[in-house]
Amino acid sequence: MSHPLNRTTCEEAFRRLDDFLDRRLSETEMRLIEEHLEICAACTREFTFEASVLTGVRQKLRQLSVPPDLLARIAAEIRAAGESDHG
Amino acid sequence: MLEESQAAPPWSTAELKPVRPPADFEPLFAAVATTAFGIAVRLTRNQADAEDLVQEAALLAFRAFASFEPGTNFRAWFFKILTNCYFSKRRREKSRPVTSDLDDTPDLYLYARSAETGFPTQGPDPAARLLDQLGTERVVAAIDRLPEEYRVVSTLYFMEDLSYEEIAQVLGCPIGTVRSRLHRGRKMLQKALWQVAEESGIITHHPTGAGE
Repeated sequence: MSHPLNRTTCEEAFRRLDDFLDRRLSETEMRLIEEHLEICAACTREFTFEASVLTGVRQKLRQLSVPPDLLARIAAEIRAAGESDHG
Repeated sequence: MLEESQAAPPWSTAELKPVRPPADFEPLFAAVATTAFGIAVRLTRNQADAEDLVQEAALLAFRAFASFEPGTNFRAWFFKILTNCYFSKRRREKSRPVTSDLDDTPDLYLYARSAETGFPTQGPDPAARLLDQLGTERVVAAIDRLPEEYRVVSTLYFMEDLSYEEIAQVLGCPIGTVRSRLHRGRKMLQKALWQVAEESGIITHHPTGAGE
């Protein structure tokens, strides 16, 4: 980071929103943002909303099932390839 | 850098030396297969193409298995093969022109629009109601609207808990590129989610506060 944060403002906190949610900040910066969120209701609402979107999208996208025969087909193909390669 | 770009990639046909039996490969593949299929569906936007892609990537990975170092990150190794198979297929096909009105989406788009139309913006899980009303199919449709470079990185991010470093490894690009595409892709996704919600009639422009 270009300069250390002593007292995090809303603007500084917001600039780090994505990195904060992905835990890409240093421990010091994470703590400073957390301290800011403890005293700033507006930023807390925004951060919580953004986190909620990410969690929701993640959950929805992960609701999937693999076609039952796909893995069996792939396994058979791999075994066949292994047999032909090993003669 | 030049030497790196000229080095044979892990899926290169120059490395097709299956010196290890399928029994070694199968459990590693089985552990990542479900996620791989999910990623493939999002990349191809089509279930049948996704099946073909996973099958092709699995066979290619098995044939290149000799180049996989045991104990290293099989997940990232396989996803790299999968994404490269996808890009390779895309190059062979006529690429579809991409038009996007998702550029320049302002920050906090979904938050602001939700507040305007009375969807909850507070509480422990404030976006849950909107996303639940959208449902999986429409969330998927929103992801599908992202321009390819954002869709690919967002898919890897959402489908699996890959670190930025792992995504960079899979895509063969710098971590900074992953970070910037991910951050921009998220903003685009918020607009796409809102567009899908409007088009499907979920957004009825309630008076402000009605949904609180």
